Amino acid sequence: MKNEYIPQLSEIREVIRHTDLEYTFRMAFDGDVKPGQFFEISLPKYGEAPISVSGIGEGTVDFTIRRVGKVTNEIFENYAGDSLFMRGPYGNGFDLEDYRGKELVVIAGGTGLSPVKGVVDHFARHPEECEGCTLIAGFKTPKDVLFKEEFAFWKDRIQVIRTVDSAPEGYDGPVGMVTKYIPGLRFRNLENAAFICVGPPVMIKFTVMEILKLGAEEKQIWISNERKMCCGLGKCGHCKMGSTYICLDGPVFNYVEGKELID
Amino acid sequence: MDYRLSSVQAGELFEKLSGAYDIYGPALFAGTGCFADTDVIRYKKLRSFDEIVWDRKSDYSFKEVLLPVNETLFYYTEDETKVPKGPQKEILIFLRSCDLHAVKRLDEIYLNNGFEDFYYARIRRRTKFALMGCRETCGSGFCVSMGTNRTEEYDLYMEPEDGGFGIGCCLEELEAYVKAAGGEKASVSPAFAAENKEKVTLPRKLSNESFTKEIWKEYGSRCIGCGRCNFVCPTCTCFTMQDIFYRDNEKAGERRRVWASCQVDGFTDIAGGITFRKDQGDRFRFKVMHKIYDYEKRFGYPMCVGCGRCDDVCPEYISYSNCVNRLAKEEELA
Amino acid sequence: MGMDINTKKLKKNAFRVSKVRGIGASRIRVPGGYLDARILGMVQEIAQTYGNGYVHLTTRQGFEIEGIRFEDMEAINKKLQPIIEMLEINQTEPGTGYPASGTRNISACIGSNVCPFANYNTAKLAKRIEKEVFPNDLHFKIACTGCSNDCAKARMHDFGIIGMTMPQYDPARCVSCQACIKGCRSLSVDALRMENYKILRDTEKCIGCGVCVTKCPTRALTRSPKKYYKLAIMGRTGKKNPRLGKDFLVWADEDNIVRIILNTYKFVREYISPDAPAGKEHIGYIIDRVGFEEYKKWALDGVELMPETIVNQCVYWDGIHFDNKGK
Repeated sequence: MKNEYIPQLSEIREVIRHTDLEYTFRMAFDGDVKPGQFFEISLPKYGEAPISVSGIGEGTVDFTIRRVGKVTNEIFENYAGDSLFMRGPYGNGFDLEDYRGKELVVIAGGTGLSPVKGVVDHFARHPEECEGCTLIAGFKTPKDVLFKEEFAFWKDRIQVIRTVDSAPEGYDGPVGMVTKYIPGLRFRNLENAAFICVGPPVMIKFTVMEILKLGAEEKQIWISNERKMCCGLGKCGHCKMGSTYICLDGPVFNYVEGKELID
Repeated sequence: MDYRLSSVQAGELFEKLSGAYDIYGPALFAGTGCFADTDVIRYKKLRSFDEIVWDRKSDYSFKEVLLPVNETLFYYTEDETKVPKGPQKEILIFLRSCDLHAVKRLDEIYLNNGFEDFYYARIRRRTKFALMGCRETCGSGFCVSMGTNRTEEYDLYMEPEDGGFGIGCCLEELEAYVKAAGGEKASVSPAFAAENKEKVTLPRKLSNESFTKEIWKEYGSRCIGCGRCNFVCPTCTCFTMQDIFYRDNEKAGERRRVWASCQVDGFTDIAGGITFRKDQGDRFRFKVMHKIYDYEKRFGYPMCVGCGRCDDVCPEYISYSNCVNRLAKEEELA
Repeated sequence: MGMDINTKKLKKNAFRVSKVRGIGASRIRVPGGYLDARILGMVQEIAQTYGNGYVHLTTRQGFEIEGIRFEDMEAINKKLQPIIEMLEINQTEPGTGYPASGTRNISACIGSNVCPFANYNTAKLAKRIEKEVFPNDLHFKIACTGCSNDCAKARMHDFGIIGMTMPQYDPARCVSCQACIKGCRSLSVDALRMENYKILRDTEKCIGCGVCVTKCPTRALTRSPKKYYKLAIMGRTGKKNPRLGKDFLVWADEDNIVRIILNTYKFVREYISPDAPAGKEHIGYIIDRVGFEEYKKWALDGVELMPETIVNQCVYWDGIHFDNKGK
């Protein structure tokens, strides 16, 4: 009988520093994994936290970690120790089939870009697989921008709007919430559009409102829910919303289902 | 087959059984109640059948035998983990019909919902159940309403009778022990409560609309979020993970899981200061809806087994059963 | 013929001289303030037969039947007999009322008969002490209170007995909900904290109030099988130097507290001022005069304390001084 609770020690292959608060840890991992899935990452003594996969490479997975909790703080302090405990992947993840041949719009807030980054990256590399891909990514300030290298790569291949909530004088990029850029989106065929929103609960709420205002239908929208998860296995109960266990049935939901989820 | 044992024979049965089984049952913990000179009935590993409290319902359920309040998942060093040994003996648990129905709910979550739980499975596989009868209904239970007053899922039935015990055996393995203890054949039929003082009608038209009812606000203003209702509930299964380190060597320690309550602060907190259910009314609604709606939606039958313990333990006199009846009444009047 | 009454004897017999000539009051002691409700009917009868129909509920939890005539005292004493017997008050001669009044009724809060916070049965201890110390003419005031809330105002007594419990912690039942920590912080002395998800109790700070036990939802925290008490001594009201009693013993047991009280009677008999008006001198003033060291010697005579009992070797009182103005 497999003991799913036992984490495996995994080597840290590379650490990419985005900001003072956010690093990407590239971890050794062999196995199937999809964007939007998550692992329970831990440092024994500090505990586990569910972290989304932010990149998938040959024999590696990336985790972009923001220093906001006890576990994540300690990972920052201790990564020099060269390995972390992890178990996973868990959750359903994004199914690329849902977006192939569509006019895809990905709207992400802050670290919310992590789980969906693999989807963006895929269509940036294979633009022929969709009818166009737009990324609207919001960060608090220019200092908080994540994945700068990736943005450099994406900007020539897909349409990218990288906005910041606020910026110092003289900043020449887009400023304002992600929602500000939704009404300006243009579609060849709105019925063939697909939207992915990932970010804090409030951001998801207002983003979905803006998308619906465009005239899109709920079934064209996908969201990813972040909740407390102690096990990732459908046992601990913390992530349950209604009859849904986010760790098993999510975290990615089509909005038709997702809107029925009440905390 | 059914048997009768004298108390001396029962003592022998216990001795023999103890060789192969750890036997758990509801026992009196004198003076350990909330208030001075009050007692608590809860589960413990028994030293004799005499320790079992037969005439009152236990304040805490059997679930702590299968799901310890604190359970070490593994010990860790900097680069290794080690899983503690599981139970070495078989387990025999004395419980009542309502609680035996609760076992099915625990199994649903821990054996079926997604992954199989290693720790639960390894103790559950070794566990047999001895049914305790209910000659009379308890005060707060509503097992009849929930259809949990009767069961045939037990391995052994036992009840005190004229200084000895009447025993019904369903499992050969256990029957052999009863025979060996000198049990004489008799006719014993399990006592099941046929009627309760409390009657509960489940609302049948609940939906997402029910999440915004006024009633939750009222209970929210009364609930103090202590979690007692969850901790005494035989069907509540939530836990939180904890990593602890040894004071003399901070690099080593253990990861535990510990009972959690959806009513207590912190249950839905995630890093970055976000709490998904801040309001006590939302938490109360979450609990009640889980027991009578959400769980059923997922698994096909209601979660609550009607043991009534949550009503008995609430320090604010919130009656879950009355809340459910109020919801049903609202439907009727609507 | 003038009224010729020995007021000293009258007072000792638990009657009071009132403002109105020839009229007094009859005082009924109720140890622990705990009584069979039938006694209320008996009090009513006396008040309606011999008094003016009114009864005062005294600050020490007794009854004072107003408006009785001194010539009825003997008859009243006969009527008091069943009350005295039901309350099991020590008596020297049946039918003669109360044999003393100096040592006051032992008062108590409602205690663990009813109150969720109380750590012991205050009425039961009050009755036990009453049995041990009464009758006695010396002016002793004793109160039993169930917990550190001190609803009985035990700290304003010569002996204030405050219930304690030594919290018993089973970490295997603790779910880290912190209800005990929050309870201790908001209602008591903030003696608890969490380390490694388990509760640590600052034993220096802990006052044994039991709040943590009442807050614990899993029975990880329970009361000690042994009952513990804090003995606060020499609190008083009064004209000269009212003050709150100070802790003499902490984590003490019932038997030793009773022994210390009895020892104190011996001490007072030895040292009470011969000039004390009506033979009444608050014990505290005697200790002020003789010195705490001497008192301690007498009080702890033959007392074998439990290892966990803390004895405060030096006790200083403060309070308000009205007696040294202009000196």
